[in-house]
Amino acid sequence: MQKPLGPAISVKGLTREYVTRNFFGGVARTTSALSGIDFEVANGELFGLIGPNGAGKTTTIKILTTLLTPTGGDARILGLDVRKDLYEIRRRIGIVFGGERGLYNRVSAVDNLRYFSDLYGVDSSVARKRIPELLEVVGLSDRAQEKVEKYSRGMKQRLHIAKALVHDPELIFLDEPTIGLDPGGARDIRNMVRDLKAQGKTILLTTHYMFEAEELCQRIAVISKGKIVALDTPSELKNMVRDISVIELRTFEATMDYVEALRKLPNVVRVVADLDSEQQTIRVQTPLGADLLPKVTAALPAGARIIDRTIKEPTLEDAYLRLVEE
Amino acid sequence: MHELTPGKQTQGRVGRVIQVLRASVFLTSKLFFADPQWLIPNIIAPFIFTLVAFFLFSGQTSGSSFLLYLVLGSGLMGMWGTTIYASANSIGFDRWNGTMESTLAAPIPLSWIALGRVLFNTLQGVLNAVFILVIGLVWFRVGFTLVNPPAFFFASIMTFLSLSAFGLLMTTILLLSRKGGFITNSMEIPVYIATGTMFPVILLPVVYLPFAFMLAPTWGIEAIRLAALPGYVGLPTTYTVDMTIMVAETFAYLALAFFLFKRVEAYAKKMGTLEEY
Amino acid sequence: MKSTDGKSGLLSADSRLQMAWRVFRGAFFFGRKGLIIWDSWDMWVMQIFITPIAQIGFFAFLSVYLKYPSSVTQFIVIGNALQSMSFSAVFAVANITSQDKWQGTLPSTLVTPANRMALFIGRAWFQVLLSALIAAAGLLYAGTVFGVSFAQADFAGVALVVILTSVAMISFGLLISAVGLYMRTALIVANIFLFVTLLLSGVNFPVSELPVWLQPVAWVIPLTYGTEAVRMAISGASLQALLPVLGWEALDGLVVLIVGFSLFSAFESLSRKTGRFEEY
Repeated sequence: MQKPLGPAISVKGLTREYVTRNFFGGVARTTSALSGIDFEVANGELFGLIGPNGAGKTTTIKILTTLLTPTGGDARILGLDVRKDLYEIRRRIGIVFGGERGLYNRVSAVDNLRYFSDLYGVDSSVARKRIPELLEVVGLSDRAQEKVEKYSRGMKQRLHIAKALVHDPELIFLDEPTIGLDPGGARDIRNMVRDLKAQGKTILLTTHYMFEAEELCQRIAVISKGKIVALDTPSELKNMVRDISVIELRTFEATMDYVEALRKLPNVVRVVADLDSEQQTIRVQTPLGADLLPKVTAALPAGARIIDRTIKEPTLEDAYLRLVEE
Repeated sequence: MHELTPGKQTQGRVGRVIQVLRASVFLTSKLFFADPQWLIPNIIAPFIFTLVAFFLFSGQTSGSSFLLYLVLGSGLMGMWGTTIYASANSIGFDRWNGTMESTLAAPIPLSWIALGRVLFNTLQGVLNAVFILVIGLVWFRVGFTLVNPPAFFFASIMTFLSLSAFGLLMTTILLLSRKGGFITNSMEIPVYIATGTMFPVILLPVVYLPFAFMLAPTWGIEAIRLAALPGYVGLPTTYTVDMTIMVAETFAYLALAFFLFKRVEAYAKKMGTLEEY
Repeated sequence: MKSTDGKSGLLSADSRLQMAWRVFRGAFFFGRKGLIIWDSWDMWVMQIFITPIAQIGFFAFLSVYLKYPSSVTQFIVIGNALQSMSFSAVFAVANITSQDKWQGTLPSTLVTPANRMALFIGRAWFQVLLSALIAAAGLLYAGTVFGVSFAQADFAGVALVVILTSVAMISFGLLISAVGLYMRTALIVANIFLFVTLLLSGVNFPVSELPVWLQPVAWVIPLTYGTEAVRMAISGASLQALLPVLGWEALDGLVVLIVGFSLFSAFESLSRKTGRFEEY
């Protein structure tokens, strides 16, 4: 198919408000989900959209996939207007919804794909060839006739991807495609995303996992409170936190009190702790690097131990945290 | 990744509509056969109502044309049952199943998909009606000789279509309303009464008649009975008049349904979802 | 530590009773809360105002059309008025297990060592009230809209019949719940049963007109005694005259409850073997 000349996605000053109405139909509350975002995604680019829950990721995806009308601003998909050219856009994009939604569980994978290929108007003779090929690609060929309700979470997600590709879209939206998957299942999905990229598809990916975004995406937009707070390549985003290094501690029996004590130390930028497992991981961001270590050890309460400590380069996660917290 | 056959779109609007209808009928039937228990509530009420009526009728009258009158009416009740419960919920199913977003994201109007679902569900109602007819023939030995078979079959098919159109209209109402269970349950017996399934609508209080006359199947069953029963006296209308009114009302349902579907889709886009119930 | 008695770890009969009472009390409040959430106002309107009047009308008009004498029509109207409680009595109780399945709380309900009988009776009490209310509404329509005369009626007798029938039908609902626990859904069974009463329970015509082999089945359903008793009470029978019928109804309700409960326990262990709790 002929590639459009402009960018695959072009967003200018996009806003979206949700109006909650009260019992009498009056406006009770207006919440702003997107307050003016701009970005462009080039043809063939793998673009990431990351941000905390409620930051506006899903709203953005819904607008770009024509499921939601924007309140203001302009969004163009493959040169087409999301407000007017609904069906033309829908024919040329594929959407992978994360989670369990979006499949008919009581019929087989083949039935699901055939149904959606018909809804997307894929020529029947093409669909007959393409559906088995897609099942092969996502590794579901040998269980294609089984009811989807018997599938594992990972298999369902792979079927989701096949479903999104059934009409050979130019542009693919992946809304948290690896959420809730086990490590193996998530890796499969990431490999598929890489393959799609290699085929020249344009991809917009949202994810909760920073390492995933870092690994896959060419450029990443960080969205927070309805605004894009940074947009760059993963390495440039990491450069924003070049001024700090990270002391990563693995501890035993450390508590929130210790984390609070660390936060009060001078020259500590940020402390991120995972206290939920048997061994705790605490990351201390500081411009001092190893020089801070004596104070970190001194703050340790009686009974707790540091098992391991390393000085690390900041990751995308560190950059992300700085961006969304500021 | 392997080389995939490149996608190619079906050409022509008519071809597209047929493709979507076929897909929708196909999926609905697959889902139905995967879980056929939902047929039971749809047929059980009309079936038992008919049995009760058989007992009441058998004490009072003889003659097969009276029993055939009853069997035809209960067939209509059976079709109503599936229309009200299954068709009305045709898209509501997606809301429940979590496929609403995927359905809304397809590059076609929602009404096309709903129409396919409704057609299959109404077809279930036809099977239901045939089932009741067979019980009547075998168990109660109802005679099945028709005055005018072609007119009978034509009227039956048109009644089937008018019920489909009504089902489509119900789909939109249920998508826009949060009180689906209330609406469908409250409608069931009143429409059996209003369409004259078991006794002529003329017996009803006058206030009820406008409601009765607004339902296309009221005219459908009149036409069916005129074409089937010798010497049938019902409403003071002829077969042609009944059929004309039914067709006109069917088109009115369709027009209203398609208009409301546009509203539903606009609403969904404005709010971003139809998932919330 | 010195052992105080040999039964440590086992519950005495007395504390078992206390436990059952606690479970009953918990379920009692759950029953009310669950119903208010699930049965929102519209379902109430439907059950009290729309369905009874439509159903009575349907069969009353049919009788008029068939030119039956008004005594027959009145027979039909009264029968349907009482039968209209079945929806609430049978359906909602059957819903108790289905609702658990839907919300995924069935396993967590069943893993509790709670006394099942106390649990379900506790949840069903509200339905007794609602069922009685619906039947009373049905009889009100019979008197006001459909011309049934209550001039000779023994109102205390009518009230007694309505309440006893509600209780006995709830027992039947518990039996349906038991079947529903094992089958994929109780709603289908409840639906069939709901309409079968129209045919078998002397609602629209006397049980004696049924084929002989069906008549014993009719007398299993508590409603069959109820329709007979309520017609007697409306036509002026004394409480004493009602007692034999009501006695049989109470006995029937009790037997149904015990059978339902045994089935429940049996299906529960069968469900455990096949692991069917979560199917729907």
